[in-house]
Amino acid sequence: MIAVEGLTKIYGNRTALDHVSFEVPEREIFGFVGPNGAGKTTTLRILAALLEPTEGKAYIGGADVMKEREKVHTRIGYMPDFFGVYDQLTVAEYLDFYAACYRQPKPRRQKIVDDLLALVGMADRKNQLVDTLSRGLKQRVCLARALVHDPAVLLLDEPASGLDPRARVEMREILKELQGMGKTIIISSHILPELTELCTMIGIIDHGRMRATGSVRDVIARLATGRRLRITVLDAKDAAIEILTPLASIRHVEAVNGTIEAEYDGDEGTAADILHALTGAGFRVSSFAPVDGGLEDAFLKATSEEVG
Amino acid sequence: MNPVARALWNPIVAKEYRTRMRTWRSPFAITVYVVLLGGLGWAVFAAMTSNLAGFGNQGLGGSSYGQYLFMFLIIFQVALLGFITPALTSGAISGERERQTIDLLFVTPLAPFSIIWGKLLASMSFVVLLLILSVPLFSLVFLFGGIEIDQVVYAFAVTGATALSLGFVGIAFSSLFRRTLPATVAAYGAAFVLLLGTYVYGYLFPVDIDPNANVVTAPPAITLVSPVIPLITIATNQPVSGYGTRYTQTQLSKLSSGGSYCAPTVNGGVMCSSTGPVYPSSGSQSPGTTLHTGLFNGWQYWQASIVMQLMICAVALAFSALILPPVRRFHLRRRRAPAPTPAPAPAPS
Repeated sequence: MIAVEGLTKIYGNRTALDHVSFEVPEREIFGFVGPNGAGKTTTLRILAALLEPTEGKAYIGGADVMKEREKVHTRIGYMPDFFGVYDQLTVAEYLDFYAACYRQPKPRRQKIVDDLLALVGMADRKNQLVDTLSRGLKQRVCLARALVHDPAVLLLDEPASGLDPRARVEMREILKELQGMGKTIIISSHILPELTELCTMIGIIDHGRMRATGSVRDVIARLATGRRLRITVLDAKDAAIEILTPLASIRHVEAVNGTIEAEYDGDEGTAADILHALTGAGFRVSSFAPVDGGLEDAFLKATSEEVG
Repeated sequence: MNPVARALWNPIVAKEYRTRMRTWRSPFAITVYVVLLGGLGWAVFAAMTSNLAGFGNQGLGGSSYGQYLFMFLIIFQVALLGFITPALTSGAISGERERQTIDLLFVTPLAPFSIIWGKLLASMSFVVLLLILSVPLFSLVFLFGGIEIDQVVYAFAVTGATALSLGFVGIAFSSLFRRTLPATVAAYGAAFVLLLGTYVYGYLFPVDIDPNANVVTAPPAITLVSPVIPLITIATNQPVSGYGTRYTQTQLSKLSSGGSYCAPTVNGGVMCSSTGPVYPSSGSQSPGTTLHTGLFNGWQYWQASIVMQLMICAVALAFSALILPPVRRFHLRRRRAPAPTPAPAPAPS
């Protein structure tokens, strides 16, 4: 559905994108991760036909973003990272205006606006002036705006930035619903746990270059240095560390805040063997769990590499 | 909806009407406009009546009365629109950029031309509203006579065309500059040049009167961009004597030595006098307001002015449509990307 081939963008002497390539099949949610200034927004703006690449091609549903801009615009819903709203317009009028811009027939617009406001949970604020809304609510209205023409693809640039935790959770719920509606979504974010839960695919970008791309599991497997366990033993923590250290599968063990963190190579069977070694030696293990931070590790590993 | 109707009536127009008329600024601007125009009309009227009371009727008949009132009102109206129109349009596009709403418009199927057109239509509708509101004031002129309805129509056409060109130029600067402040300064600068600069040009660089010509020499064509002279010719039914033309040294010495000077009249004849050309007051409108030489030979002053204004509009519109799109179709120079840098070392799996 989305294909990016060798995308390069140069601003003066600065290379914002350096031959970036990736593909997103239909109905996938592609998480675009990278530190600030990595090139996420530049890529999304090129995909939205708002920016011309210095080199490379990008396609939305087979349509070249540079040559078939009108087709691209009808297929995408774009939500920029920073956006403004108009004064003196109510939420319903605001959405109706964009629906008209997308050439939705007038008789249908009322229903579109009502449905979208229900989707983003703002039906009760239909007649409120849009510039008086809080940032979280403006984000929701902007998301609704991106959906007025029922696009197949959504390009969401940091949709959760600047939101409080509750608003962030609500935004995530809305995105899940959109996923259920069969949209292909590219979402850029620096909030990694959100992406782990939401995305089916991921791309890690840094200094304008794609460091890794593929399914979340693949990327973690490719980049993560090893799996991690957090183990709590009731007593004799140091003795437990001594038992774990010589094990062949263990790469590194350390005591962290009263627990033991062990990095190992292997699968779930290896983890079971480690647990067995501890209990077999008579240690009373009260907690034994994998540390859920694989994507974060992968991200840190990918972005800490030297460029070039 | 067919493409023409879509171009003329796009969603931006309706949105602009809503947002513009919901603020206090629009009623305030309308009130100030009408009060200023009415105030000037009253002042001119009062001055003329006091002259009449003080010095008796010195040939200033009722019809001249109407012409003077009309002339003052219409020129003051152009001056007011010269202040209002750039303010209406110079923030139209740059304001969207500053508000960070322009990208949201660019990702819709609306063509950049439609965006500019919508903004212009909305702004110009406000100007038309102001012109309509001034009609009752202008109708007072008919109390005195001396002005025909066609003169009012021509004068309003020139005024409308002037406002239109100022609006188009304002939009062009708004598309060019990222910020509203420089766009507004440039739009006012352009308005000053178009309204006054071209008028002053006639005094600074007049056309030499051809002694062999049997018609009145027209001022330089560029001076017709300013609506001042066309409006005066409409109000007075006469060309403005001495504007934009001059005698050569030989003609002047001939005049000072007491010789008679023969000059063409506005009706196409030749009149000789010892003091220079004399323009007889013309009963009908067209001969007195027709250009007999230059680029617009045979045209009326107001027609030439409107054509010049429309040409400015076309240039400004083309420029705006060219400069506005985020991704431009025409490139002077295309930057080549460097060869790809070596891929990063593969991460250990």
